[in-house]
This record gives sequence, structure tokens and C-alpha cells, in this order.
Amino acid sequence: MTAASWNGRRGLADERRGGKRGRGMTVASWNGRRELADERRGGAAWPMHDRDVVERLARFAGRLRERGVDVCVSDEIDGAAALLLVDPGDRDEVRFALRVALKVRRADWDTFDELFRDFWAAGDDSAGPRGRPDEAPTRPSPPRADRRGPAPPWRWIQAIAPPADEREREAPVGDRPGRSADALLRRKPFDDWNADDLPAMERLLARAARRLKCRPSRRLAPVRAGGRVDLRRSFRRAVGTGGELFSPARRNRAREKPDVALLCDTSGSMDPHTRFLLTFALSLKRVVRRCEVFAFNTSLTRLTPWLTPEKIGPTLERLAAGVPDWSGGTRIGASLDEFVTRYADELVSAKTVVVVLSDGLDADGPAVLAAAMQAIRERARKVIWLNPLLGDPRYRPEARGMKAALPFVEHFVPAHDLESLERLLPLLTAGGRTPSSAGGRRRTAGPPAWQGAMREHEGSRGGPPGA
Amino acid sequence: MRPEVRETQAAMEREGYIAEPAIATAVFLARAMRKPLLVEGDAGVGKTEIAKVLARMLDTELIRLQCYEGIDVNTALYEWNYQRQLLRLRIAGTDGREPTEVEQMIFSRDCLLERPLLRAITRRDGPPVLLIDEIDRADDGFEAFLLEVLSDFQVTIPELGPVTASHVPYVVLTSNRTREIGDALRRRCFYLYVEHPPLEKEVRIIRARVPEVVDGLAREIAAVMQAFRGRRLHKAPGVAETLDWTRALMALRLDRLDADAVEETLGCVLKDHHDVRDLTAQGVGELVADARSSGAADA
Repeated sequence: MTAASWNGRRGLADERRGGKRGRGMTVASWNGRRELADERRGGAAWPMHDRDVVERLARFAGRLRERGVDVCVSDEIDGAAALLLVDPGDRDEVRFALRVALKVRRADWDTFDELFRDFWAAGDDSAGPRGRPDEAPTRPSPPRADRRGPAPPWRWIQAIAPPADEREREAPVGDRPGRSADALLRRKPFDDWNADDLPAMERLLARAARRLKCRPSRRLAPVRAGGRVDLRRSFRRAVGTGGELFSPARRNRAREKPDVALLCDTSGSMDPHTRFLLTFALSLKRVVRRCEVFAFNTSLTRLTPWLTPEKIGPTLERLAAGVPDWSGGTRIGASLDEFVTRYADELVSAKTVVVVLSDGLDADGPAVLAAAMQAIRERARKVIWLNPLLGDPRYRPEARGMKAALPFVEHFVPAHDLESLERLLPLLTAGGRTPSSAGGRRRTAGPPAWQGAMREHEGSRGGPPGA
Repeated sequence: MRPEVRETQAAMEREGYIAEPAIATAVFLARAMRKPLLVEGDAGVGKTEIAKVLARMLDTELIRLQCYEGIDVNTALYEWNYQRQLLRLRIAGTDGREPTEVEQMIFSRDCLLERPLLRAITRRDGPPVLLIDEIDRADDGFEAFLLEVLSDFQVTIPELGPVTASHVPYVVLTSNRTREIGDALRRRCFYLYVEHPPLEKEVRIIRARVPEVVDGLAREIAAVMQAFRGRRLHKAPGVAETLDWTRALMALRLDRLDADAVEETLGCVLKDHHDVRDLTAQGVGELVADARSSGAADA
């Protein structure tokens, strides 16, 4: 039972087992400073602490998980234990305690609060049919279905996207460019994708991963030669030679693989490529140390929690059904800006290579996109832009959005077939900047970085683009 | 509100930390259940201060481990005293002793230098508060190592064997979110996110920490700070900046805010060149006037 050892209080487990309050679950025994347990033993009835509460908490946690908030069983145990320590009648105190004990990140607070309302309400009328444990979890009614006409299949939004009202605040329904009213959740089958590509891609990536060159870390690791003398290991060795320091051990900076943040455009203009590229994203997730995946069209969705490498096929189906606005219009600038403000702090560091998969056809003005790209450029180790259109020899990056983004892009590469993705892999690791040289501004001078990449590409391209 | 939570809140306030219920609840729970508390939030919102206040509340020692990129076990846990070892090796060499004897000589407890983590779990006089500051700067490997220490409070020194904790310290970890903390570590802890304080709380913080401040000035400062944070800045100023600024204004013997004073002392508040430039270009007069009127309205 690991729960007990987390609290480092194995021995106290028996403390509370006797009381009638401990009947439902052993949660009570897991928690427990001695004095608090003592104090409660003679105390008044504890309405929060019965089987019902534990089940209500489990259901609450389940709903949080459905909405993408990461809560696991150990968190639920912590939550149950915390509930014992706070005033069950004080709504805010219970809310704060659960937020702390379930380890809810700041980004998830809105979702948490929304679901907490149900959790709390169920406590008030737990006698009613709604709070009964044997009933399947009830879902909240679709938000604002009345004002939008026919209700969208909202459960998919709930399952995979940020809350609808949040998206709406950023982009009012009426004035989103490039999309029709029913584009919001158009279900789009992945017709073009060929299942045979998948094993091939995975094999290729696995092979490439072994060759990944890596960035020197600040950490020191043992080496045979070079570096500095490692006194600790040297003394260890000296013991074996009767106290004589024959050959000093050495250590030098370790090398580590990069992190990748992948931003996939899933709008209509990218449609033929999307499934293929998302498959690539999933495969990549297996071979690099850490890979974050986002999809964007008119808004940004973090896909990472839903991407499990074991189930690429089903995941893709789910995404096709779930990402709002799949194959709708594109707001690249606004989406990247959201990435910068909401995620970049935590997910992008000097170790991170940011890869954008998009054709650069942005419905917004170029200024937003340029600002967002600059912000990303300043944080990231490297920015790579994959453009499927680049596979066509006649293509020139004339689109306003593409032009705005290019000054901040180190490698501008095609992404229309497996071969082009293969060429991408060395770029992920080769020649990263050192953190000290970070700063996008200096790149605006001189010839754009993509030109070199394009020339390379033109020299090596065999036939016409596959897509 | 539970009396214990209210008591925690009051105790923190006595130590000069104005804690809203969310913070007090978290500190109380972490203390009662003896779980590490992971505190996240923007720079300068008072994360580190929570650990310091906790140590004062419990009247115990604060042991601090400052993390940085490349921090390793040797800096965090223990290190051998190489000079002493070298000396002993020399002596052993001249005596011609057995290797096992040499080993015992140089890997003994008195050649061991305790670093913060080891000190925290072996402290004689009761559990200390262990502050692991800016854990986001350390790398994943170190995080995994911490995980081991924080779950069992037992460390193994290969040359000496396991060292068990004589007690479980109160642990506070802070993170500025320059990188996401791994799930495994987050799960071992309670998680608290500290936000910038709302106006009223900030006024109280200023009064608590700079008692000589005039009431009207405190309110104006807080209102201007709120206005700053409302702008889209590269680096939003935290409470630390508020207090610095208040002290600066006190040193200048100002008891009212005006545009000139703000402009002259802007460096105490905004620590990013672009922010200073943008705000100076826009002129701070309007901002100050707005803040003053809104501050007055709230009062």
C-alpha cells in the first residue's frame, strides 16, 4: 500500500480503524496525524465522511478526467483525506482543500470550479435520486444550446476541447472568418490516410531516434577522457589501489535529447495532410523524451493528454470527431498567441524544439502571428515550420501569414510525404542554439533562413509531391 | 471555516503574511497531513515567503535548497570532504594499511559534508522546514531523485549505507513554472497556485510589511500595481516589487503618488526594458489618475 508510505506514517494506520466513521473506505486510516485523529474520535458527527462522500468524490474525479484534468487515484485518496480535515459546511474551504489535494493546475481551475458546483450540489440533496451511487454520472446540460439553435454534439467538445464559453469569448461565433455555421464540429473521416504508412513511419522514427544528436546538459556525467576530474569517483577508485590515486576518474557535461512541441494546423486547407501529420506527431512522441502536441484551427487545443502511442488509430478517430472546427477556417496568429500566453511558459524552454505544421494561410492579420512567433522564438531552442505546400516546386511563401512567420523560423521544410519528414529528424537535434544566444530579433536581418532549406529541398526532390 | 484553518491564517498573519483562505487551507492541510506543498505562481507573489513564515510559525529552522540547472545529488544531499580524504589517504599510504581499513578511514561519517536534504532529515532538534526553491530550474533527473527522497525520507549513501530520517520535515517546494513539473512529483505533494493579490489584500500586505506607510499612499500604490498587472507586460510585477516600491517612495518622503514620482521610480516596479519603454512612451499620468480615482472609490 503505497498510500501509507507517501505520508510516511505507516504505523499510524491502525489509529482510526475502530471508529464507525471509518466504515466506507480505509481512506480514514491513510490520513492521519495522531493528534487530529484523537481530536476527532470524541468529536461530533462528521457528515462529509461516509461512503456517499467517497463515491461522490470518485465521480467528481471521473468527470474531471473526462474533461482532461489529470486526476489519479492517489489524488482521490488525498482528496478524501483532506476532506476529513476541513469544515464540510464551508463551501470555499472544501473547494480550496480539494484543489490543493487533487493538485489542480491553474489552467484547469475553470473546469474544476464548474464541476465542483455539481459536486457540492449533490451533497445538498444527496437523498435525491441524483446523488445515488448506483446511478451513472449525469452530465451538465449543454452550454447555451438555446441561443445557438440546434445543439452541437457538445459531449465531444467537453471531452476534448476547452470549455465552449471560453472559446466563445475569444472568437464570437458570428465573425470567425472562413467557416460556415456547421463547421463547428464537422465530423471528418480520414480518407486519405493509409494504414500501411504507420508501421513504416514508426520504424523510420525509431531508427532515427538512435542517431539523435543531443544538446549538452549542465549536468555532469562520467566520461572516459576529457572533462574534469571527478574527485568522488577518484577516491572510490583509490580505495582499490590501497590509497594510491593512479588514474583519476573524469566527468563532463551529459548530453540530452530535445523536447518537442508540435503545433498541427487542422483547418480545411490542411485537410489532405492532417491525418498523416498527426500520425507523425504520435510516432514522434515515442522517440523524443517529451513531445507536446497541439491542434489549432480557429482556436488551440492541447492534445497531449489524449495521445497514447498504443492506440494511434482510435486516437485519430477520436480526434477527428472531437476537435472543434476540424477542417474549418484558420486563425494561426490567434492560436499561436494562445499557445504563448497559456502554455509557452511551462512547455517551451531552451531544450524545446517547436515545430509548426501549417500552410500559413492565416485569416487574421500578420501582426499577431509575427508577435507570437517572436515570443516563441525567444524561448525555444529552435523553430521549425513544416509546410505541405512546399512540396510543390512552384510554391513560394507569398501568403501574408507565412511571410510574417518566416523571419522567426530556422528551418522551413516540406511535409508532404514520409521522405520529407525523414529529412526533418536531423533538424530536430542538429545545431541548436545555446540558451545564451536566444533572441529572435537578430534573425530579422540577413537572408531569410528558409531559403537555404528550400534550396536543399529542391536539390533533393525526386518526383512531384505526393499530395 | 475550521478553527484550525482560521488559526493557521491568524498565525501566518502574525508573522506578517496576509494569507487568504485558499493559502491558509493549503498550509494547514500540508502541515496536518505532513505532505510536501508544491507552490506555483508568478515571480514575486510570495511563494518562498510561505516556507519562511511556516518556519517562524513552527519556531523551527528553515533549511533551504536553491535549485539551478545542473544541480546534482552532491550539492543537494551530501558531498565528501576531499581534502580530509586526501590527507587520510596520504597517511594510509605511508602506513601501508589494508584496503578495507583505508576505505573505512576515508568514507567515514566525519568525512561527510551534509548538504541541505541530508541535514533536513537528520536534524536533531525536531523537524525543520525544508524549502526546495525553484524546483523548475533543476532537470528531470534531479526531480526523480527528489521523488525518492520525498516519498521515503530515506537516502542511501553507497559508501555508508542507508540513512533514515529521524523525523519527517515540513517540505515546501516552489516553482516559477518555467517548465512543467512532472506528474509523479506533483502527485507526491499538495499543490497550491498563488495568484497576484487583489487590491484589498495588497493594501493589507503593504500595511503589514511597511507599517510606517501612510494609509492613502498604500491604497494608491496597490491601485497602480493592479493597473500595471492589467496591462499586457512581459514581466508582471509581484508583491515583492510592490514592497520595494513602497519603501522607495517612503525613502523619497512622498505621501502621494503623481505621474512624476511614478516615472522616476518605475525601475522598482518594472524589471523589463520593454515594459519600461512602452509605459513611459504611453505616459503614466493617465494610469496613475485612473488608479487613484478607482482606489479612492474602493475606499
